[in-house]
Amino acid sequence: MPEPEFFLALRLSLLVASLSAVLLLLLGTPLAWALAFRDFPGKALLEAVFLLPLVLPPTVLGFYLLLFLGPEGPWTKLIGVSWAFRLEGLLFASVLFSLPFALTAYREAFLSLDRDLLEVARTLGVPRRKAYARVVFPLVWPGLLSGTLLAFAHTLGEFGVVLMVGGSIPGKTQMVSIYLYDLVQALRFAEAAKASSFLLLLSLLILVSVRLLEGRWRAWRSTTG
Amino acid sequence: MEVHYRVRRPIRLEARFRVQGFTLLLGESGVGKTTLLKALAGLLPAEGTPYGGLPPEKRPIGYLPQDLALFPHMTAWENVAFPLHGKDAKAKALALLERVGLLDHAHKRPRALSGGQKQRVALARALARSPEVLLLDEPTSALDPLTKDQVLAELIALIRQEGLPALAVSHDPALAGMADWLVVLGRGRVLQEGPPDEVMAAPGSVEVARLLGYQNLFPARVVEGGVVVEGVFLRLPLPPWARPGRRAWLGVRAEEVIVVREDRPLPRKTCWRAS
Repeated sequence: MPEPEFFLALRLSLLVASLSAVLLLLLGTPLAWALAFRDFPGKALLEAVFLLPLVLPPTVLGFYLLLFLGPEGPWTKLIGVSWAFRLEGLLFASVLFSLPFALTAYREAFLSLDRDLLEVARTLGVPRRKAYARVVFPLVWPGLLSGTLLAFAHTLGEFGVVLMVGGSIPGKTQMVSIYLYDLVQALRFAEAAKASSFLLLLSLLILVSVRLLEGRWRAWRSTTG
Repeated sequence: MEVHYRVRRPIRLEARFRVQGFTLLLGESGVGKTTLLKALAGLLPAEGTPYGGLPPEKRPIGYLPQDLALFPHMTAWENVAFPLHGKDAKAKALALLERVGLLDHAHKRPRALSGGQKQRVALARALARSPEVLLLDEPTSALDPLTKDQVLAELIALIRQEGLPALAVSHDPALAGMADWLVVLGRGRVLQEGPPDEVMAAPGSVEVARLLGYQNLFPARVVEGGVVVEGVFLRLPLPPWARPGRRAWLGVRAEEVIVVREDRPLPRKTCWRAS
């Protein structure tokens, strides 16, 4: 078994990953809906900005976030406290970093929704809330969940951004990927191997669940018409 | 029911016509038939009567889109119960399914149903919200070509039994014979309306004649007792407006022509020798 420090770092990673997954679900769902179905000026630019973390080197994103959240940054001036090297900063960075993954998956889920279903539901005299709860949600939730799981796994594996924003304070901001890097730097390969195999299994498990969810989603979709 | 609607987007269209009994709105693809139905259902921005300005959920209409849009994750009875509420929703849904003859299939998902059965589930679901009028978009498109006429005739019989006016749009003139009232839609406006046999017998223009399935149209000159087409005299009963010397169109439906072998006795009709 890996040593206790590993589980401390893993616990922090899991906490950051779960909280940012929930935040992404809350923020990303309405955003993805707007991107899928609404037209507004500047939409292409907005999409590009949201997708930027996909192509930007994580350290570049981390650097700007550090400036933004650091003691002299605009965010600190606004709320009166610096989020750099704290859990809040890690969360902020993780949400931004995983946003493109979640957003793309959510938008896909909405776009493959047959719009006729929603239109017919509206002509059937039910309130809009009921149409969303009984028609849209049951058909898109597997897509939303698989996007959220992907974002969760992605956050679990992030390195550059969290290193820049959070540093490596054991028990406070040392995420599991940074812990592993520190082990290798200290030439402790045996511990690094144990920690790595544990993470490998965990990531595999998440991806298998995503595939299974997608399978179920496809099976449902094919029943249309 | 008088319908008068004006749509600007996606197609510019102004249509004024009557809906009585099972009304067929006939038009080529792209003239805005679906647009007009959606406008009536409140799904597109449009102005007009009836129901102008109301949101879709407030309009007493039953809309059956081309693909029927049954909810794939619900069984037939759950689909029908969707617009209903209260404890007896299931009982009401089952009663409606019985009315359309599908009680035995109540627990099936849409994918396990045939095209005609899906159509009847969609009808039962539309009836559940007690509409004043039914709107059907290309009702034969989801049907098997071999059985579509029969399935559609059954659907129309069910709709008549409910005593509801219905507006069906289609590009298929073969459906005209089943309708109580026929409306021909051209680009942006209504070209002609009336009882199907009257419209069929006297299309108001060449465009209407083409839409009604007159595949053969020839320019003709009216003479005493008939017309002359490309030098050939045809003995025909003439309509009152056809005075000798006037130009006209001669329309021949493919099913009005028979081809007879040369060695057989000639039928007692107008005959031509052709190669």
